[in-house]
Amino acid sequence: MSEKVLLVDDEKEFLEIMSERMTARGMEVTTAESADQALAIIGKKSFDAIIMDFQMPGMDGMEALKAIKNKKPELQIILLTGYATVEKTVEAMKVGATDFLEKPADLETLAKKIKKAKADKMLIVEKQTEEKIKEILQRHGG
Amino acid sequence: MEKNENMLADAGMKFFGKMTASATHEIKNALAIINESAGLLEDLSIMASKDHPLSPIRIKDISQMVTRHVQRSDLILKKINRLSHSFDLSTQSADLEKTVCFILDLASRLVEMQGVTVEVTSPISPITVNTNLFYLKNMIWRAIETACLANKGKNRVMVSFGTDPFAPSIWFSMDTVKNDLLDDLFGSKQDQALAAHLDISIENNNNNNGFGLLWPKRI
Repeated sequence: MSEKVLLVDDEKEFLEIMSERMTARGMEVTTAESADQALAIIGKKSFDAIIMDFQMPGMDGMEALKAIKNKKPELQIILLTGYATVEKTVEAMKVGATDFLEKPADLETLAKKIKKAKADKMLIVEKQTEEKIKEILQRHGG
Repeated sequence: MEKNENMLADAGMKFFGKMTASATHEIKNALAIINESAGLLEDLSIMASKDHPLSPIRIKDISQMVTRHVQRSDLILKKINRLSHSFDLSTQSADLEKTVCFILDLASRLVEMQGVTVEVTSPISPITVNTNLFYLKNMIWRAIETACLANKGKNRVMVSFGTDPFAPSIWFSMDTVKNDLLDDLFGSKQDQALAAHLDISIENNNNNNGFGLLWPKRI
């Protein structure tokens, strides 16, 4: 089954070209040009991973990360940015980013990270489902 | 005196660091597009070897995209180079409008990130001052940065120039502004050291919706 990816970047040509290359590798790609647009999309569609630039006009990257994690905690967010200090990266990881790649990135490396993100997300969802079943069983005296 | 010089050096380093960090981020964005274009060409060549027809128009589009982003990177590097050379002379003649426009161009991404647009009204005739060009650029950036931060969420910062040719001034006004915020943002020791070095005074404007950088009256 193909990986469902949301690609967020304010560089329109980057979105177009990445989307074409990722689609050719069997991924299902949706694009957003801002964090605000990404937030609106994740409310309507489900994704295995979000690939996001950290510095875009509009909502600040850290703010966006928090908002996405708040809305969909199970979502795996991979940062893909040209602007990376160690401090910012550590802060982003603490807030909930799962992985990180610096631009320009190797697409095969990114594809591996997306596969891993999908597997990690499935584990989280399975665990959440298990916990819900346990809770229901306990409520019903099982 | 020595403390003031340290403050000035700190302000200069901070400014240069901010400009180069923003420029390198933009260059990396351009490099990422060039990198993906190369990758796409490779993808297309693999497909062509498997009997998929190769579109000459598509190849031309990709080639033009690469050229565009090489030119974009070159332009950013030229601007950073120009900023670096501002320090070549300790004093030189600087056109105020051209200097404001240069900083707005150099820092366009940083301004855009604040969600603010800056409108410049040209003076009736060019206004020049003899000054240290690097620190003048530093001071103008601090003024723009302050105006953008004080105006965050609103859409406009207006830049204009004083009309008295013997008393040069640059004015920054905003749609709405909190004056105490202005004091907080624009009163650091580094800003004061910059203003002192350039012989500039910082004053609120008459409408209380902005501030000006004022040079002493020429006799």
